[in-house]
Amino acid sequence: MDELRAAIAIGKKDLTILSRYRIAVVSQIFTPLYQGVIPAFLFGASFAVGGRVLGLESTVGTDNLAGFIFLGGVISGLVATSFWAMAMGLRNEMDQGTLEPTWLTPTRHETLVIGRAFGGLLWFILSQIVLFAIGIAVFGLRFRPEIVFALPAVIVAIVGMVGVAYILAAIVLLIREANFFIDCTNFLFSTASGAAFPVTLLPGVFVPVAFALPTTYAMDLLRQNAIGARPALDPTLEYVGLLATTAVLYPIGRWAFARAEQTMRRRGTLAQY
Amino acid sequence: MTRLQADLRAFAAAALKELRITRRYPAMYLGMIFWPVLLPAVWVLMAQAYSGGNDARAVAAFAARAGTSEIAGFVFVGFAMYMWLSTILWGPGTALRRDQMQGSLEATFLTPASRLVPLFAPPMAALPNILLTFGVMGIALWLLFGVVPAPDAAIRAVVITLLGLPAMYAIGTLFAAGVLRYGEIGPVVQIVRGTFVLACGITFPVAMLPAWAQFGAALLPPTYIVADIRAVLLRGFGLADVVGDVLITLGLTVVIAFLAVFLFRALETSARRTGMLSRF
Repeated sequence: MDELRAAIAIGKKDLTILSRYRIAVVSQIFTPLYQGVIPAFLFGASFAVGGRVLGLESTVGTDNLAGFIFLGGVISGLVATSFWAMAMGLRNEMDQGTLEPTWLTPTRHETLVIGRAFGGLLWFILSQIVLFAIGIAVFGLRFRPEIVFALPAVIVAIVGMVGVAYILAAIVLLIREANFFIDCTNFLFSTASGAAFPVTLLPGVFVPVAFALPTTYAMDLLRQNAIGARPALDPTLEYVGLLATTAVLYPIGRWAFARAEQTMRRRGTLAQY
Repeated sequence: MTRLQADLRAFAAAALKELRITRRYPAMYLGMIFWPVLLPAVWVLMAQAYSGGNDARAVAAFAARAGTSEIAGFVFVGFAMYMWLSTILWGPGTALRRDQMQGSLEATFLTPASRLVPLFAPPMAALPNILLTFGVMGIALWLLFGVVPAPDAAIRAVVITLLGLPAMYAIGTLFAAGVLRYGEIGPVVQIVRGTFVLACGITFPVAMLPAWAQFGAALLPPTYIVADIRAVLLRGFGLADVVGDVLITLGLTVVIAFLAVFLFRALETSARRTGMLSRF
């Protein structure tokens, strides 16, 4: 119970700090809109024939362009939360010199990542609600009621992404150029999850990598249920894949984080940056 | 030594200093290979999804709006402009802001060197990086998608790029002036860059915009620069075919440059009065 309270306190602290930077708050909502969603929507619409995106229909089984792009934004946002809020947030504390005092508190160190996950995910949900509202009002965004059936897949993917965040936190605490590393890997992870286009279009060697990520399955299940997209695999197999990758990634993440902590203690790098 | 010679020496020294600083952060060079290849490559794959694997009707619809059916070329030229625009918008402003943060801006402004030195020497030092980025994109376009522009078309594209340089630096200066008044202009630059990306036909054809937005796009030099580079590279246009656009670009450059000079002077005077040069 104490750990839960600590995690909630960490999440609240992150949200309080974020709310102090109002331009950053607005920017975090609108940047994905004008840098990702709108350009992608207009680019996709430029292939439309007679008002229908026939090409997209042929590729994924639906011509719901807005739905395809906005749902890609959901998984992209989840990946970004894991990479920037959960993992890189820990590194930011290191740079600010507050990680060492935090580390000396009796709170378990794994809880630091969980707390950031709470704050990051709450902000992720709020920003997605705003983005969906804009999508519905401006872009004619429509989902099928079956979208609710995809919620379990998204929740499992969130657990998987916390595992990924542990792995990333372990890496960014040990390397110097963490910003570039997170920026690049965030982009690659999001792309390999099929946020921008179906993973079947990836060059052959990258397809197995895509199917090793829980977000790939969550993306596909979400699009199937919400906009009636054609599944890449049998949905049952996709749930098995989602559960299996999450079951593997989470313990690997905890192990990597513990190893990174050991290394930092041995090298005395906790207070360095 | 004449005033001009002294300013030129100061300009060269400031540019060299920037190059030296850039060399100290080698990880940045990885970014110059990673982003120019992967960002447009992802958009080409998005085009595959949207066109149903190059369905003839979808590609024809795109060609009618974009003026070319060479989708990979269209995307890569657009992203080359995106990279250039990012460097230009961040360049002069970031250089001033960094000097402000490090406490050296006030000292620099107390020297008798022209204001053109702190404003333009750092972004000029970024030119080799921009050229490297263009080179990487060209190679990626060739190796990944088999698109190789004809040598004479490439030369025409270089001419348009050179003619567009003053316009781009004028835009950069206009936003750099904001540092003298507001300090942190990062979020504003993000919004401005986003506006350019949306308005100038960088990632999608301008024809997709509503009429009022197309009118706005017609007032921005990057719209003409990117359209002309696409025209000469992908549609076989000659320089004579785009001379009207080039003249409009040069005309807009003069307007933006005058505006930038006026704004910069006004904000510098204000910064001297308020002490903003040494604050951050």
